[in-house]
Amino acid sequence: MIFKWLDERLELRKFKEKFLSKTFPTHPTFLLGETALFSFVTLVATGIFLGFLYEPSTTMVSLFGAMVPAAYASVVKIDLLPMGMIIRRIHHWSAMIMIAAILAHLLRVYFTASYRKPREINWLVGLSLWGTAMIGAFTGYLLPYSQFSVTATSIAYYMAKSMPWIGDWMSRLLFAGDFPSDGTVPRFFFMHVMLIPAALIGLISLHMLILIKQKHTEPKSNKDRKEAQGGRRLIGIPIWPEQAVISLSFFLFLLFVVVLMAAYIPLNPIEMYGPPSPGTPVMRPDWYFLVVYGFLKLVPGDLVFTILGGKITPETIGGVIFPGLNFLAYALVPFIDRSKEPQPYMENPLHRPFMTSLGIGAIIFLCMMAVAGYIDVLHITPRAMTVYALVATAAAWSVSYALLRWYNGKRGNNAKA
Amino acid sequence: MVDGNSAKETGREGITRRRFTLGMLIASIAGAFGSLLALLKVLAPEKKGGGYATTIQPGDVLIYAKGGSAGSPITASSMNVGDAVLAYPTGKSSNPANLVQLIKLEEAAFKPPTDMSLTDKGFVAYSAICTHLGCTVSWMANRESPAASFTECFCHNSIFNPAEGAKVMGGPAPIPLAQIGVKVMQDGTLAFTSDFKGPIGPQV
Repeated sequence: MIFKWLDERLELRKFKEKFLSKTFPTHPTFLLGETALFSFVTLVATGIFLGFLYEPSTTMVSLFGAMVPAAYASVVKIDLLPMGMIIRRIHHWSAMIMIAAILAHLLRVYFTASYRKPREINWLVGLSLWGTAMIGAFTGYLLPYSQFSVTATSIAYYMAKSMPWIGDWMSRLLFAGDFPSDGTVPRFFFMHVMLIPAALIGLISLHMLILIKQKHTEPKSNKDRKEAQGGRRLIGIPIWPEQAVISLSFFLFLLFVVVLMAAYIPLNPIEMYGPPSPGTPVMRPDWYFLVVYGFLKLVPGDLVFTILGGKITPETIGGVIFPGLNFLAYALVPFIDRSKEPQPYMENPLHRPFMTSLGIGAIIFLCMMAVAGYIDVLHITPRAMTVYALVATAAAWSVSYALLRWYNGKRGNNAKA
Repeated sequence: MVDGNSAKETGREGITRRRFTLGMLIASIAGAFGSLLALLKVLAPEKKGGGYATTIQPGDVLIYAKGGSAGSPITASSMNVGDAVLAYPTGKSSNPANLVQLIKLEEAAFKPPTDMSLTDKGFVAYSAICTHLGCTVSWMANRESPAASFTECFCHNSIFNPAEGAKVMGGPAPIPLAQIGVKVMQDGTLAFTSDFKGPIGPQV
């Protein structure tokens, strides 16, 4: 009845034929992107709940007899609500999972060479999504206005300020004046709940539209079957109903895992950090910033030089140049490893010694930078850690390259014989 | 091409209707967005003095910056060799640039470049704001040999030696913490005797 009424007006049947019956190739790793998408849905839902209760202000108010910033007080009050703290933890865990899922998805695309023609644009859109998600997470750090929030944001403020030429102006633009200023929390709140979600929705839509236009990459095992059919159609399952059911149950399972984690694993305990106060406890950022955090610890303090009147300091190198070069390197991947013909299938990483070993080297490098975030508890000097990191990276790269070459040589011989 | 006015089709050079329209479109887009650039100026508030500006005056009494006795004056007798506390000048604790770390060491332990004229009875004070990225430094007390105690910033593990003018012993901090003069008063409290001898806060 309702379907008929709607169909007469919106031509639902046509929509179903055109979009809902699109084919979705199946492979377990194709759920990584969905994990990111569903985490975003969870983030929006929990974010709406938190947004109703949060107060973006640093005005001092009384909380249980102590004077604390209103933002901090409002988050303490959220934590005291029935289910309040668990919603806040689900929000925080989902952010961490979303960024992890995007990274895993990027790695899947990297190792299977799915970024090659025609998918270069979507690789860049995906990278932007990753970066935007991390900026979103970062702007969320400040909002509870705990000691942790203020320390983390203050570090970022000085990193932005350390940029040559534009740093001073840029830091005042982003942080609404010299941090800590009364304007910073409202500005970050606006970015966190409005600008960045809007950017994410835009980028996700673009990502999906390009995916629908270009079609999904397929497992190579589909190749023979597909050629036997002689068709250009993908082999897989239709979006409706099969893929939809898989996706929905996967979403619910993911939600179950996140709720379980939120229930049992404490996260960002602002009551323990307390409101902003003198004194900085030992604190480490969330996992995805460990790389930059560790790298900052390794840059020697006397590494300062001047180019064209701009002073390049260790903070600029660690906080701006290093992440910038990382993203630039990732962005260049599809333009270095190119193919002339469109690539419909996923490659086997074992058959691509150069790119695969490069990827392994990069992973080891980033892991070592994260380990560098812990040199204080590991009792390693920054200099020693730098040496370890470089040796480990070079070893991982060269050994994996040698092994893959050897494997492919053997495979080649077997094929000949 | 209905109008037959395109340069391509007619082979005519110079301004055509199509080119003129395109030029107008580009100019109006550039103008519209260009005028919005002025907003960036509004969105980045002017400096209010900028960076860390201390308001410590010689004669200000040191008070505890945190803990149960926050706000009450620090007495010389309450500190042993190898102890350190975070301190503010009395009545000026809202300015983070005023935060100092007051340390008591053996008088014989000091080495240059510590300014001995700014120390008194083993008491020495340095800015507590790390010169790297502005976190507050902490005291790593060594109970067995107080001389081996040091100041560390927990954010990125910069290490400073308070016996040697807060020289950077390790980590990413670019310059030492600035020393400031302190002396023990007759009533047993401590007071500042000078301004910071060097820049304070992140050196960016």
